[in-house]
Amino acid sequence: MSKFFILFLSISCVLACTDDREILEPGNLVPKTVMEDPTISSITINGAKLHAQAFGPENGTLIIVLHGGPGAYFQYLLNVSSLANKGYRVVFYDQIGSGLSQRFPYAYYSKFGKDAVDKVFYDELNGVIKYFKKRIDQKVVLLGDSWGGIMAAGFVGKYPNAVDGIIVGEPGGLTWADISEYITESQAFKFFGETLNDVTFADQFITAKNDEHEVLDYKFGLISAKNNIVGERVPDIGNLKVHYRNGRVGSVIQSAMFELGEKYNIDFSEGLDQFQNKTLYIYSSENTVHNDEWAKKISSSFKNKEIFKVQGVGHSGYFDQQKTWKIITEPKVLEFLKSI
Amino acid sequence: MKNNYMKPLRKALLVAFYFISISTNFSQTLNWHNLENRKHVLHGEFGLDFSVSYGLGYSRQLKTKIPFVLNGFFYKPAGEIVFDDFKTKIGGQALWLNQQSWKGSVGIHGIYRKNTNDFVTLQNFGSETSATFGYYKNGWFLAGEVGFDKAIVTHFNHSNEYKEGVYENVKDGWYEPATGGNLQYGFQAGISFQPIDFTIKIGKVISQDFKTKPTLPFYLGLGLNCSL
Repeated sequence: MSKFFILFLSISCVLACTDDREILEPGNLVPKTVMEDPTISSITINGAKLHAQAFGPENGTLIIVLHGGPGAYFQYLLNVSSLANKGYRVVFYDQIGSGLSQRFPYAYYSKFGKDAVDKVFYDELNGVIKYFKKRIDQKVVLLGDSWGGIMAAGFVGKYPNAVDGIIVGEPGGLTWADISEYITESQAFKFFGETLNDVTFADQFITAKNDEHEVLDYKFGLISAKNNIVGERVPDIGNLKVHYRNGRVGSVIQSAMFELGEKYNIDFSEGLDQFQNKTLYIYSSENTVHNDEWAKKISSSFKNKEIFKVQGVGHSGYFDQQKTWKIITEPKVLEFLKSI
Repeated sequence: MKNNYMKPLRKALLVAFYFISISTNFSQTLNWHNLENRKHVLHGEFGLDFSVSYGLGYSRQLKTKIPFVLNGFFYKPAGEIVFDDFKTKIGGQALWLNQQSWKGSVGIHGIYRKNTNDFVTLQNFGSETSATFGYYKNGWFLAGEVGFDKAIVTHFNHSNEYKEGVYENVKDGWYEPATGGNLQYGFQAGISFQPIDFTIKIGKVISQDFKTKPTLPFYLGLGLNCSL
């Protein structure tokens, strides 16, 4: 009994004498946002503080980069900043509730009901364009990947004269039915597989209330591993990481927008027939879900379009793989930009 | 300065709680009506318990005034990598209500579990308290059950993939106060062909704030008990 007591006391002391931490402390498990770290570059749009960075001459054609998600962050798209060397003004921002931008509770988004995408994302994008546009005749182009491509399509459907062209990378779908089908097909976890069970098993270790963003974002980040079905790879942005060292996903904005999208059957192709300017539609050879047939189907909503298939990469690889961007995607994007 | 001493002390108490719960003991799906002449029970289980999982266990009935069973269990979630994720429970169950057919039990178990993915290895000491109340006969039983699983203190050890690809300044170490907690409630039932019992338990899971749900918001267990 005394041996057990000594063993018990020893183990308790060893565990007790290590530094302990609190799970809700900002900066412990996920990086701080612009709200906690004033050294992070930011802009304030419609009352929300957003992490933003711009490259290139202020008067150059504006390229507004829209990241995926909802809830991801722009770090993986930084290869696109090389367009600044060609005279373009390239603007990156983490959308509201995403990346290192300010967090809001679920109710902030749900209060807009069926107008949530309009009020949350389109008003924000209009604000970002207004913030960075320095000349009235300055051209504006949206470059969106995945969810960013869906958002770009929805935006020009509502504001067909606001931009001079859009570049979209593999928007999974534009109608909610297509988005749902794409997500279902691209995330076909195996019931007995390691990935699915790693995710669900972790719920025993960490739980969080609806407004505990540090924990919710951390847990969501653990799920957001690379997806072999859509051919994703770890982003290769080389030394550009110096511009965005640490990333963080937004769990609340992601779950809020998916729930609202499903509830109101949001259609991002609405009004798209009114957008007469050019669209460059990019997709990859290694994404087995967004294949040739799917690209043809989804791109049919764009009137004035060019479809471009990038070989050798998967979802997002046309932007986030530095070599592919330099050799294949950037020349095509420059050709497109010169044509508008 | 006071806080600097208070934190290790508080953790010592938390860790102590885990070991005390092991040493004093106190749920597994048992037919209490048939337990009288059984000393050893082996358990096998397959089901959904925060994951697709498999479990093995052993119970030993003590000679006490109140029917009391010591038990230990090992659960492993499905997946290609063996032993990177598991849960162990050690504790016991006592029969607090022991009428002819109506019986009620309480259980308390200390938990040690581990979860590894590409980004982090989590190790946790926790506890599970549970209670059952139901109707027990020789050949079958049906009972309601409720349990609370608390992740008391958790150690986070992040991989280089997380540090290099996501967040370079992530803080590894022990995290407390409690990092998680889930309430489980449902039913358990079984049929007995001595010395074998076939059991089933099914129910819902909700997080400790009684609002949010885990990714898998229910549990299901199919079990086989063999008495020796």
